[in-house]
Amino acid sequence: MLDLFWVEFKRSWLYLRRYPSEFVGAVVSLSILFLLLFLGARFLAGPGADFGERTEALLVGFLLWTLTLFAYNSLSFGLSEEAQTGTLEQLFLTPYGPIPLFLVRNLAGLGTQLLILGSIALVLMLLTGARLSFPPLVLLPILAVLVGGYGLGFAMASLALLFKRVQQILGISQFLLIFLLQVPLDSSGWLAKLGYFLPLAPGAHLARQMMSAGASLDWGLLGLAFLNGLCYLGLGLLIFGRAVRAAKRRGLLFGY
Amino acid sequence: MNAVLEATGLRKRFGNLVAVDGVSLHLAAGEVLAFLGPNGAGKTTTIKMLAGLLWPDGGQVHLLGKSPHQNPWALRHLGAVLEGNRNVYWRMTALENLVYFGVARGLRYQAAQRRAQALLEQLELGSKSHTEVRHLSRGMQQKLSLAVALMHDPELLLLDEPTLGLDVESALRVEAMVRELAQAGKAILLTTHQLEVAQRLASRIAIIQQGHIVLEGRTPEVLGRFAGEHYLIETETPLSPAQLSHLRSLGLEGEEPPYVYHGDSDGLWRLLEALKPTPLKKVARAEADLLDVFLKVVGRA
Repeated sequence: MLDLFWVEFKRSWLYLRRYPSEFVGAVVSLSILFLLLFLGARFLAGPGADFGERTEALLVGFLLWTLTLFAYNSLSFGLSEEAQTGTLEQLFLTPYGPIPLFLVRNLAGLGTQLLILGSIALVLMLLTGARLSFPPLVLLPILAVLVGGYGLGFAMASLALLFKRVQQILGISQFLLIFLLQVPLDSSGWLAKLGYFLPLAPGAHLARQMMSAGASLDWGLLGLAFLNGLCYLGLGLLIFGRAVRAAKRRGLLFGY
Repeated sequence: MNAVLEATGLRKRFGNLVAVDGVSLHLAAGEVLAFLGPNGAGKTTTIKMLAGLLWPDGGQVHLLGKSPHQNPWALRHLGAVLEGNRNVYWRMTALENLVYFGVARGLRYQAAQRRAQALLEQLELGSKSHTEVRHLSRGMQQKLSLAVALMHDPELLLLDEPTLGLDVESALRVEAMVRELAQAGKAILLTTHQLEVAQRLASRIAIIQQGHIVLEGRTPEVLGRFAGEHYLIETETPLSPAQLSHLRSLGLEGEEPPYVYHGDSDGLWRLLEALKPTPLKKVARAEADLLDVFLKVVGRA
């Protein structure tokens, strides 16, 4: 498995190094997207509006959204592309089975995704003047968010496996992630209670608190966040496993 | 001989279409089975079921006793070049592809690297090790696909149109490789529309038509069966019109050498007696080629 991780890591790294335009494109387009959101919000708030610490909070939320987006849609895009180019069946000939292979692929791809994310963070900090405090412990709630994100990613990849063309659904549904990452758990009311059960929400809330408000790590909430993430990962894998069986039964692994 | 591949009673239906109906195939080490049939006959569907990529509605597949539909490690015994697919990553080099797929098939990283280098040399792709696949010619890409299938040294190879779209030289090279692999003990299931290639390579032939196996047997036996009681008779010089008219009454056909005789061996001896003392160059039982067999079988079915 370690060797598999290593070749997957090398594969994602080679793609990044060999096609730097895609890396630059991702950094530029996502940075522009944030600036448009940021400037748009300032425009809507009217002249003289000062976001102050809210800029940091916005940036943290945006970066977390971007990272979750990678976890959420990279498998689906990958599967669609591989079905189109004709390598998908070769992947399914692995004796490891498709689920372990794609889990390892997700993990191995994290390195290049973090590099893209770091670059976006640097660009945006330079452009907006925002400064992020980054306590190392914040990696734990981010990890919990990622685990859940991969779960949602496997669920989406099930659709990609069965229907191939899912770009439209992916495009629309990624805005749902914004909602999930911004659910406030510290307010009273039904939404806050529901938030503990929604995918990504507990970990995202914790990470936001730690990065933008400098709060210390709430271990209880972290435990909940991991439980939440693992539940959604399990659910995603279950759905994906069923989709693989359906695709093999209906002959959907080949063709696009 | 122990079967490397044992498939029994495979059935697959897509909606109202019965794609494969009761197909059984077996393959022992060192055998090349040419699996032939017209387009849409069920070849690719069968191959995907053998490779565990498509679940059969009925029947079983065993690779060295293990079912790829129940035990994914059965796939360790199988390598496949799948028709219509690129089979390899275009953005990676030949060497990177081989190492990647080698590890994905269960090899350790170092072992995959050594095996990849050896295969690239063996396939005369050594100089292209560090070339991205998209810059390789079609023939080289096809050879690389074959190398990917061979990386983990599987006992069974499923080759779906391995010479499709190749130039003559590359096709001959792939053909030679298939022969070498069979001699080295690999069991090979080959589908191709190039029947002369199949005839040269296959130790056994199976023809599928409308989802059913309509003919199966060892290549020489199948060809012999379809040749019938035909003999070619070649004389040193053409026969005179007078000789011809006499010999026609004994069953000889044709205007010039080689002549053809249709009939049993007793009749042949009578004809040869009548030919005396005309010098003979050759008397041989006529052989059908695979194209004749295929057309007769598919036409009849």
